[in-house]
Amino acid sequence: MKQVVCDTRVSTMQDQTLLLPATVALFLPLLTALLLAVLVPVRRHGWAAAGASVVTAVIALAAAAHVLAQPSDGQSHVWSVTWLAQAGAEIGVLGVRVDGISSSMLVIVTLVAACVQIFSLGYMKDEPRPALGRYFAYHSFFIFSMNLLVLAPNLLQFFLGWELVGLTSYLLIGFYYQKPSAGYAAVKAFWITKLADMGFLFGLLSLFVVSGGFDFDASLAPGPATAVTLGLFLAVMGKSAQFPLHVWLPNAMEGPTPVSALLHAATMVAAGVYLLVRAFPLFGQAPVTLDVMLWVGSFTAIFAALIAVVQTDIKRVLAYSTCSQLGYMVAAVGAGSAFSAYFHLTTHAFFKALLFLAAGSVIHAVHSNELTSMGGLGKKMPITSATFGIGALALAGFPGFSGFFSKDSILESLAEHRAWVPLIFLLAAAFLTAFYMGRTYVLAFMGKAAGHAGHAHESQSNMTAPLIVLAVGALGIGWFGHAFAGRLSQEYSFEFGGIGAIATVLGLTGLSLAVVLYRKRGLAADRSPPLLALSGFVNSAAVDRAVAMGFRGLALPLSKTVSWFDRYVVDGLINLIGWLGLNASKRLQRLQTGNSLDYIMAVVIGTLLVIAWGVVS
Amino acid sequence: MTLVNVLYVGVLLFCLGLYGTLTRRNVIGILLSVEIMANSVNVILVAFSRFTQNLLGQVFAVFVMSLTVAEVVVGLALVILLYRTMRHTDIDEASRLRH
Repeated sequence: MKQVVCDTRVSTMQDQTLLLPATVALFLPLLTALLLAVLVPVRRHGWAAAGASVVTAVIALAAAAHVLAQPSDGQSHVWSVTWLAQAGAEIGVLGVRVDGISSSMLVIVTLVAACVQIFSLGYMKDEPRPALGRYFAYHSFFIFSMNLLVLAPNLLQFFLGWELVGLTSYLLIGFYYQKPSAGYAAVKAFWITKLADMGFLFGLLSLFVVSGGFDFDASLAPGPATAVTLGLFLAVMGKSAQFPLHVWLPNAMEGPTPVSALLHAATMVAAGVYLLVRAFPLFGQAPVTLDVMLWVGSFTAIFAALIAVVQTDIKRVLAYSTCSQLGYMVAAVGAGSAFSAYFHLTTHAFFKALLFLAAGSVIHAVHSNELTSMGGLGKKMPITSATFGIGALALAGFPGFSGFFSKDSILESLAEHRAWVPLIFLLAAAFLTAFYMGRTYVLAFMGKAAGHAGHAHESQSNMTAPLIVLAVGALGIGWFGHAFAGRLSQEYSFEFGGIGAIATVLGLTGLSLAVVLYRKRGLAADRSPPLLALSGFVNSAAVDRAVAMGFRGLALPLSKTVSWFDRYVVDGLINLIGWLGLNASKRLQRLQTGNSLDYIMAVVIGTLLVIAWGVVS
Repeated sequence: MTLVNVLYVGVLLFCLGLYGTLTRRNVIGILLSVEIMANSVNVILVAFSRFTQNLLGQVFAVFVMSLTVAEVVVGLALVILLYRTMRHTDIDEASRLRH
């Protein structure tokens, strides 16, 4: 792709119509977030903050849609300012880059964000008003951070946005900070992603050392390319919850459900995959990294899908499902097909945000996350159950739904790459995905009602409307694969091949198996031997413990060494200088006795010395 | 009477004054010793004036006398203030300005 760098003064009409709305979509949410941070009465009023934030999100969505509606010319348009110009080389270029990839991602982010914020108006209405204001202020700040990342013209700005979304994730997971478990979950998410971000920092700095810039498409020698991309991929593993750094994502479900939909399903966790797509010219130069991605991604896909099968918390099912689907995307990039990964990212953003919001609607109605206290909700909550069903079918890859097209595209790309074992992993994961979505749907919406579910009723319209919007996306977006590919200057046409047929048969088998198993027996079906063994393994938290041990084994000695160096070498040096000055002054102080006779004596001795010096010389 | 003999007297007086200044603990004693030092200088000035037939030395001696008078006035005022605050005039104890 050719890059059109333009100054603000000499910009073409095309640039202005693209860059101006993109800039609005970037900075308006920041403005709102800052205003809500400063104007305390507005924030504490709650509803005023919510209104401001929702209006901002809708304007950002309109601006993003305007950008996407412009005909694509296959070029990227960049508006940039130089940051740290004094430092010699152009170290920091910040700005806005609009091209096929960023414009569609911009729409995904703002659309899901707008839906989630409108949904939150209903879901969070019983919160105390100051908390509500805080919630929406964080949301506005999140849109800014995410757009900063999406529109980044180089890796440096990408890193800024990356860290800021990590911060918002921390703040929103810990939204119910009075609950200790939410606090722990927030810290866990922050620590694990920070640990992974060391890789980003490493990759960023080595890229600068090697290429003298932060470009997404710098061409490197094979050795440095592998080092840089492996560092970046470590950060992706943290952010996009890839095995073994996925352990924070299930805990992140402590946050409010709309937050899980926006950050931990549709957008923030997908930022890792977005990085892989964005910087694919860089990753493409390192075959080793691509192989690592292929294996890590496909293993995560099947591993997380296995765990999802035995979860009884509806949000945890979806969380592990998110890990699994992100694994698909990472594996697709590993197979060299950034397009299919990005396609799946898009469809996944729609149907997973939809599933989370529908789950939120259910949770709002029955006041519990547990599948055991749901059941029979299909008749009582028709819109929720229909939209959840659409999301589940899309996720399961039911023919005609969006997930079907994107998943098929990924599987085809793996087959083309002749990566057979990862392909088998992904096919097995497709079966498991259909199975656990069938199980979840049956347990929540069919059968007999339990607990509160008896007197549940449909959620209010500001919660169901976003569900319908997202459901339309989850249904239809898959049909626009070729238009999507056009924006990315890629060729794509849907062909139903052998792999697609196998995946479809597996998916349908999984779905019907789940329906048959759980329709009659309900949760009791979980006691069949293979599922029991699986849940035994999951409940033992072996993975969590292994990660914690690895963390202690690797990170603690490192941080202890660093802290020792800091305490005794860096601080020691500074303290030594201070100590020397202090000690010298203490000794000199003794000369000042305060006794006048001593001073006179000093004058006399001094005079005598001067005379003696005069005599000698 | 030669110039050197008179100078001996002046130096002797100066050393006497210096010795008194350094050894006395009473502030008044110190002031007296300082006066002796000043007057030893006067002796030397007058002696030079006499032996070189130059009146300038005597003029200086008169200046020194008037200056020492002024100095003693200030010094005694300080001594009185010191006595009022400390109830004695022992210079060894008067080290409070150190802190």
